[in-house]
Amino acid sequence: MKRYSLFYFIGQAFRGLWRNGVMSFASIAILMSCLVVIGGFTLLVYNIDVNLEDFGLQNEIIVYLNFDLEEEAIVAIGDKLDSLDHVESVTRTTKSQALQQMKQEYEVYADVTEEENPLSDSFTIIYQENEKVPELKYQIQQIEGYRKLSDKADLASTLESFKNGIMLIFIWFLAILVVVSVFIIVNTIKLSVFARRHEISVMRYVGATGWFITLPFVIEGIIIGLVSSITAYFVEWYFYSYIETMATEDMKMITIASFDSIYLYVLIGFIGLGVLTGIIGSSISLGKYLKQ
Amino acid sequence: MIDFVNVKKAYPNGTFALKGVNLHIDDGEFVFIVGHSGAGKTTLMKLLLREERPTSGKLIVGDYNLTEMSNFKVPYYRRELGVVFQDFRLFPKKTVYENVAFAMEVVGTPKKMIRRRVPAILNTVNLAEKQDSFPQEISGGEQQRVALARALANNPKIIIADEPTGNIDPKMSLEIMNLLIKINKLGKTVIVVTHEKNLVDYYKQRVVHLKDGLITEDKVGGMFQ
Ligand SMILES: Nc1ncnc2c1ncn2[C@@H]1O[C@H](COP(=O)(O)OP(=O)(O)OP(=O)(O)O)[C@@H](O)[C@H]1O
Ligand SMILES: [Mg+2]
Repeated sequence: MKRYSLFYFIGQAFRGLWRNGVMSFASIAILMSCLVVIGGFTLLVYNIDVNLEDFGLQNEIIVYLNFDLEEEAIVAIGDKLDSLDHVESVTRTTKSQALQQMKQEYEVYADVTEEENPLSDSFTIIYQENEKVPELKYQIQQIEGYRKLSDKADLASTLESFKNGIMLIFIWFLAILVVVSVFIIVNTIKLSVFARRHEISVMRYVGATGWFITLPFVIEGIIIGLVSSITAYFVEWYFYSYIETMATEDMKMITIASFDSIYLYVLIGFIGLGVLTGIIGSSISLGKYLKQ
Repeated sequence: MIDFVNVKKAYPNGTFALKGVNLHIDDGEFVFIVGHSGAGKTTLMKLLLREERPTSGKLIVGDYNLTEMSNFKVPYYRRELGVVFQDFRLFPKKTVYENVAFAMEVVGTPKKMIRRRVPAILNTVNLAEKQDSFPQEISGGEQQRVALARALANNPKIIIADEPTGNIDPKMSLEIMNLLIKINKLGKTVIVVTHEKNLVDYYKQRVVHLKDGLITEDKVGGMFQ
């Protein structure tokens, strides 16, 4: 940036934005709406995940053992489970741990002593693929000492496919919205270039370099991206907090990730996507000048 | 040094504007290019400016081989040229001073240098006292002198003027032409495309005649015909 201050380019960029204010405003409004929708989808998918985990539905089978097993036999079963294909991890819950949990959750267990413990040891298996569950279940059932198992694979896969459906719509939406945003930015920058065509032509005759001519317009695109993404962030924040409050007060069933825990990702994601869109849009409309 | 070797130029629509031009211009020469409308004069200028590229043949300007030059070199090449158009192409919202300074700003000339050089150039074109005027406040001839000052701003080796007097009255034209001669005497190569018979005949410089995309005559002290 030989001897040239960035301020010159930023100044030119703001002049351009100001000059075709209506188009600049329209691009910002559209890019912002796109980001809000994209953000909304992402947060929806994210929250489905959070809930899947919360319900303990995700990729989890609990294997309950016979009541009268020796410690060695239990450990042996654990090792066997661990060695099965598609098993990611195996965690043991002893019957006394199980009793403690029950005591915490249900009052009727309050007076139950260790000697009276009606529960058995169990293993919690985290597996890798939903499709392998039937095979895995069959193999578990062959193990000696197995009493019963509980898996919510069906429910999990229903939710999973719901999520995948949303993801699919989301990807299409994303593609369309990005194209729309790029399109409007391309046209905004084109107008801006058009307004300065006279200046640009003189610049080219006196030997200004391609990047010198185009940088103000790229910065214009970046500013559009930045303003859109920051506005989108606040809009998303507002809506999300609204839903968050509603969900925590009225629908205790559902867990909603708090905005505080995700705000940074939302902000960075928005800015990244917004600025990228701005750069792509302006580069497309400037192609011929970059080549000289 | 400028060398056109069998240069042909066809536009995308199929028009052959130049049909094999051979032209050699030495450093420090003054050349008039004349010819009827559509002869290919502007096309010749556009090739020199690297606004268009030859369809075939060879074009060399100083250290630059325009037929092989890559795009990123074009801006640096153009700093060796100063160009003046019939329609001046000044910025109406910039003063005379700012119009000239602009050419230096956009190639990254330091401010200090600009402040020193602009008044000197305006002096060369006899416009020192008009530096704070806006283009619409000065005459056509003066505007063209501003354009000429801008063309000189980056100290080019070659000045190219396509009908520089086309939009100004005869008395003013003479002034512009005198300036171009003066600039030539300062050591710059000057190429002037013109329709003005009187001027060409008066100055007795080298005259190159173009006709239908070919050079039909090239004579020092030539006449317009
Ligand atoms: N961009 C273009 N596309 C197609 N044909 C063109 C283009 N520019 C010029 N021509 C054609 O090329 C020929 C030469 O044009 P050019 O502009 O070089 O002539 P000229 O000598 O400058 O004429 P004038 O004296 O009228 O300015 C003409 O037949 C013109 O119609
Ligand atoms: Mg012409």
